[in-house]
Order: sequence, then C-alpha cells, then structure tokens
Amino acid sequence: MTLRFPFPVCSPLPPVLASSLHRRLSIPSRSSSSFSPTPLFSSDHRPPLFLRPPAFAASRTDLHDFRRWAESLALAAGPRLSASDGGPDAALLRRELAWLVEDATVAAASESGVGEELRLRVELEELYRLWKARIEERRPFQYILGCEHWRDLVLVVKEGVLIPRPETEMVVDLVAEVEGFEKGLWADLGTGSGAIAVGIGRMLQEGGRVFATDLSPVALEVARLNVERYELKDKIELRRGSWFEPLRDVEGKLMGLVSNPPYIPSSHIPGLQAEVGQHEPKLALDGGDAGMDHLLHLCEGSASALKSGGFFAFETNGDEQSEFLADLMSIKLGNFFHNIKMISDFAGIQRFVTGFRR
Amino acid sequence: MAGFFFLFGKRSFSNPPRFLLFSKIPILCSSTSSLVSSSQTLARSPIGSGFNNVVGGGIGGFPRVSVPRRFSSHPAAVPDLKTADGLTVDAIAAKDWPILGESESDWRSHAAAIAQSIQLIKKRMQWRKLIVRLDQVSAVLNKPDLWDDPVSAGRISREHGELLSKMKEVNGYEQELLEHIDLMKLAREENDEELEWESMKALVNMRRTAKEKELEALLSGDNDSCSCFIEVQAGAGGTESMDWAAMVMNMYKSWAQHRGFVVTIVEEMPGEIAGIKRATIKVDGDYAFGYAKAEVGVHRLVRISPFDSGKRRHTSFAAVAVIPILGDGSTRYQIKESDLRIERFRASGAGGQHVNTTESAVRIVHIPTGISATCQNERSQHSNKASAMAVLQSRLDQLEMARQAQLNAEHTQSLTDISWGNQIRTYVLHPYRMVKDLRTNYEVSDPDSVLGGDLDGFILNFLSYLLDKDEASV
Repeated sequence: MTLRFPFPVCSPLPPVLASSLHRRLSIPSRSSSSFSPTPLFSSDHRPPLFLRPPAFAASRTDLHDFRRWAESLALAAGPRLSASDGGPDAALLRRELAWLVEDATVAAASESGVGEELRLRVELEELYRLWKARIEERRPFQYILGCEHWRDLVLVVKEGVLIPRPETEMVVDLVAEVEGFEKGLWADLGTGSGAIAVGIGRMLQEGGRVFATDLSPVALEVARLNVERYELKDKIELRRGSWFEPLRDVEGKLMGLVSNPPYIPSSHIPGLQAEVGQHEPKLALDGGDAGMDHLLHLCEGSASALKSGGFFAFETNGDEQSEFLADLMSIKLGNFFHNIKMISDFAGIQRFVTGFRR
Repeated sequence: MAGFFFLFGKRSFSNPPRFLLFSKIPILCSSTSSLVSSSQTLARSPIGSGFNNVVGGGIGGFPRVSVPRRFSSHPAAVPDLKTADGLTVDAIAAKDWPILGESESDWRSHAAAIAQSIQLIKKRMQWRKLIVRLDQVSAVLNKPDLWDDPVSAGRISREHGELLSKMKEVNGYEQELLEHIDLMKLAREENDEELEWESMKALVNMRRTAKEKELEALLSGDNDSCSCFIEVQAGAGGTESMDWAAMVMNMYKSWAQHRGFVVTIVEEMPGEIAGIKRATIKVDGDYAFGYAKAEVGVHRLVRISPFDSGKRRHTSFAAVAVIPILGDGSTRYQIKESDLRIERFRASGAGGQHVNTTESAVRIVHIPTGISATCQNERSQHSNKASAMAVLQSRLDQLEMARQAQLNAEHTQSLTDISWGNQIRTYVLHPYRMVKDLRTNYEVSDPDSVLGGDLDGFILNFLSYLLDKDEASV
C-alpha cells in the first residue's frame, strides 16, 4: 500500500463537536414533513408487506392486468430514470415488480395455475398506488415493501432509516475474520436498521455481545424489530445516543468497532439519485463538507474505546476518503493503531478502512 | 442372525420376497432356532433343499458351520443364482417361452417377461462394467494407505457402497423370480392350489414392477440422481434466435415443473427486443440431471419469424448445457479463495450511500481456468454471491470430471462439448409441423406439446439409445 495524501497532512482536521452533531441530528424525520403525503402510509406502524396477513383477494386476471399496467409504466419510465440521475432502468424495475408481487401474494398460489382467486396481503388498489409511488415519486422500493434483503437476512426498513446497502454486507465478513471475535464485545455505531449488528450478532457465541447505538428514535425502533425478529435480544443491546456517548461504561473494553457513518460530502446531497436524496434520512447520509466529519470523530474515538488488540472497520465514501483515513491512522495516530488496511468492495472501490488498536 | 446369514450367505438375500411373510413355509422368515428345529419342513421345501445343495447339508439338517461370507466385499464372486433345478435368469430368457398378456395365467409367460426385463436392466446398468469397477474399487479399499487421503478415501468407500447396493438390489430381484418359480413348481407337484395362486399373483406383480425398474435402470449413471443446472444460450441471428432460446428455456421450466422438480432462475440476460441471450435455471429434485442430460446439444427451430416483416422462413439455434450439482462433500474440485475474483455486475458510479439500487448481481471469475459465473436473480448480494459460487463450483466439478474421464477409460459418460455443429433436435413449425431427434430419429408431430414441456418421450428414447450404443461399443 502506498501512502499518499490526497489532502495536506498538516491541515487541521475538521473539529467534530458533539453539540453541532446534535443540532443536525435533531432535524425531524423528513418523510413526515415535506414529501407529498400518501394517505395509506399515514399509519406508520404497519408491518412490512411480506409479514401482513393475506386478508385480501383478487382474481388472477386482476393481478395480470396490474402486472401489465405496471410493466408498461416501468418500460416507459425506466430509460428516463436511469438517464436522469442513475435511477433504476426498465429491466431493474421489472425485477422489482416481480418481487413486489412475490411479497404481496401468498407464495403457493403465485406459481400454480389452479384456482382463480389469489390471496393478497394488500388490496389490489393499494398495489396500484404503491407502484405509482415507486415510479412517479421515486419512493425507494425497500420502503414500499418495508423490507430489505441483506446478506441472508430480511430486514424491516421504513422511512426515516437508511436502507442498508449491498456493499455494507462485507463489514460482517470482515468481522468474521477477526480471531476470537465470537466471544468479544462489539459496537455498531449508528446502527440504523440494525443490519450490521444483527449480522454480527448471529455469529456470536457465549459471552459475545453487540452494542448498537443510534441517535434516531425511528432507527432504534426499527433496529429493535429486526433484533427481535432474529431472536437476538440477549446478544444485541440497543442504546440511544451519539457515537461513543452511550458507550462510556465499556470504554477500553471493546474487541471491535464497526460503523457505516454518514460520509457523503454536503455539496453532493442536492445531486443525489432521487430515491436517496428525496426519501432517505439526510442525517444518515450527510458527512459534512468533506464527508468525513463523523469518520474522523470515529477514528479518534476508537483509540480510547477499543481494548488493546481491538479491531475496527469503517465504511467510507471510497478511494479518497479511505486513503486519507488510512494515512491518518497509520501515521498521525500510528502510536495507537497498526496493520491499517483498505479493503475494496466488489465494484473495486476502496470502500473500507480496517485496523487494530495497539 | 448369524445362522440365518450363514445359511443364505451364498445367495444374496437382503430383501426377503414379500410372499415369504405369508407363505406356508414358515422356516424362511423365522429365526435360526426354528430353522434348525423344523428340519422336516426344510427337507420338504425345494428352496431348503436348494440351499442344502449350495451350502452343503449338515447331519440331520444341521448346517455345517463355516465362515459366513456376509462381510465379503465381492458379491460379484457369488455364483450364478439358480432355481432348484438349475435354471438361471439367462437360461429362462433363452428358452423363448412365449410372452402372453399379463391377464393370462401362464407362469412361464410371466417368468419369461420378467427374465427379459432383468436382462434389460442389467444391460442398462452396464452390469459387466459394474463388476469390473467393483473389483477395482475393492482393490483400492484394501490398500493400507487408503486413509492417507481422507477425501479420496471417502469418495471411494461411498462409491463402493453405492455399487454394492445397486447390485444387491438387482440380485435380490433375480432371487425373487427364481424363488417364485421354485414355489410354483412345488405347488404344481403337490397340487397346492392356494400356493399356486399366490405364486402366480406374485409373478404378475413382479412383471408390473419390472417395467418401472427398467426405466429406473436408465438412470444409473454416476451423477444421475443429482439436481442440476440447465443453461440455454441463443445462437447467432438476433431477436429471432433469442426468442427461440426463451422458448427452449420455457420448455424446460414446464417440463421440470410437471415432473415435480423445483425450478429457480439463477441468471437471465434478456434480449434487447425479445427473448434471452442466455439463461441458467436450477432444477432441484431426484434424478433431475439423469433426465436433463439427454437435452445437451444444439436445438434447431424452423418457422416463419414473427420478427420478420417479410414473413420469411428462418432457421435459428439455441445451445443447451446441463451441469450436475454434486451433493455436499462430493465436490470434485477444490476452489482456492485466492483464485477468485469477485466483481459487482453492472456497477457504476460512487456506490455506497450515494446509490439506492436493488441490483446486487455479482460475477465470480476463477482466474486459473477463466471460468466464471454470474447470478442476478437473488434479492441480496450475499445470496447472489452464494448462488454464483454454486454455479461456479458445478462448472469446475464438471471440468474436473471431464478431465478424469479422459484419464480413466472406465468413465466414458462425459458430456460432449457443445459446438454449434452438434445439433440434436429439430423443431419445424413451417411448412410442416414436427419435432425430430437427430440422434434417435424419434419424432412427434405436435411441436406445441413438446414446447409445452412434454419431453419425456425424447428423453427416455435417447437414454436407452445411449446405453445401447455404449453396450455395442464395449
């Protein structure tokens, strides 16, 4: 690994003040405020589509008509969406449509040709409204279903919580490579839906534990659902607060720290893909001017949070941020950390920085 | 039980025929002690006397004690099975007794039909090759350094067990026929109508199951019982041939579903206008590979293309490959993690938090061989990766099997490489309607039913053709 500094080393690191963080994080959830209200989502407590009882019925022809209508909408909109801001193309929308129908219908009935009536988990009209919201409002597919398939998990998600990205799956693999990780204390900072915490929690053995923190009450509520769904209440402890704040009692005792903190530079926020920029919580995305406010805070805090030999893995915006952090930790913070590595995601972008506390 | 084994040791007798349970001859299903005590009955029974002939009778019906052969790994060394008066299955078949309908009460006719089936089953199982192979495997098993390589030792002992159980089943079936014949003769001698009726019934039942067993014997290849992947690729010719590839894939999906297999789409590259460029499905279920392997090769379509505004006749091609999915633990090729390159499929832009997408396909490339696999139809990257990995493993296993097949002349059943010249079947929709297999000349005049998944006729014909050809070349 060549040590190269994309920014001047001597530049003062942007100070991360807990107070400013708090101010930003206290912005109310965006979905409830500015976005065009869709009455059927007003009840925010409905379970994800695939968990609802099949209380509705439709004929096979009705569903067929819906598919044809939805497909034509997808074919017409796909090229425009992918060209405008890298949104989904027609092929992807058609696959999403298949998954929507899969989640909305009772599995056994969807394949076989017997029986004219199909059992649905939503009313047929709601299916139309959902797909319209997907195409016209660019509502993220995962919010529409109320779930995200991530690793071998099906996680509950909803507006106000970042949808876990495929790249982040690898954090769990990185943890699994740490010797003796099964019995250690771990922290997932800014857990969001709880994805990483659940992924790690499922691999832990007797004595192993994950502290999952988040400042957002919505996130913690969703994370709690996911922890309960995977029966990990005795392995994962959810704590509310900013970054290290709720972890004072385990300071210096952690075997590992993982985080996927907000890392998008503020200037990029307005140009984001509509699904992200208009629907996902900014407080889970915006990383300040260079996108590194939180990452730098995490790097510095790790020195006191981790025990000797402890491991950390942070997701970053990619190459430049990873290189900067790797340099910072191996040189400026070289007294505290060693064996600093940058790890690429499957797209070849250096997505993660990992290392060990001396 | 030792005595039981001893007595029948020379005649593999693993599955006592059903009739024994109701028979008037109680000794055969009773314990050693009753065997000994009922020596009188034993003497009366042709089966008993038959055994006495084979084993050598002891004084007063007490069997002479010798080392039981039940641990022998050489059932091939078992002498030919015979009836009391020395008839073997082959001898019965050679007698050319006329074979009448099942409803006729002529035991000779039933026996002849069953004997023919047994001969056919043995031929399809490649009996002589099995015996040679069993000898080879047993020889390897007896080597003292066998367990130095636990993986290969496991494979060898598994193969040994499979061979033994295959042969034991057929021997048992032969045994059953011979015993029914003995009983039938006995019943006639003794004018025992009830016994005669029961034996006749048993023979008719055997005759019926024989047909099923003939079919099963078609699927006795190494990996026939495995699940498999079916891959279809469109030939040159643009939209028309991509549409054809999609029709072929749909044909397999319906065929597999009708057979009760579970079908999942692993990968699908749609054509720009219609059809598919390439697709892979996974077909889960017993003997999926055994059947589907008959479909490997190039399928040719002749029709007036709906994509041609000039309404001209077009010929298009689609290639089909079938790969067995070896069960856990029996993979042939050990993949090294460091030999893999895993790439996000169709990734663009910054990724991470910048992007919300449900596209999480990955491609895995095995660098030393250049073989790759892609999966894009699972709902998470993790699952796509696992699926692609399974496809890759199967492809590498297949490569390894092909390599071993070249090294080892015993295993000649490797899949021929698919080249576009290797046409196996033609589907003509215009100017006439017909589907014809170019290997077996089997043909059907209703292409719609075939394209709707009615493939069994083609498959079974090809499988028996394949074995006949094999037998001829031995």
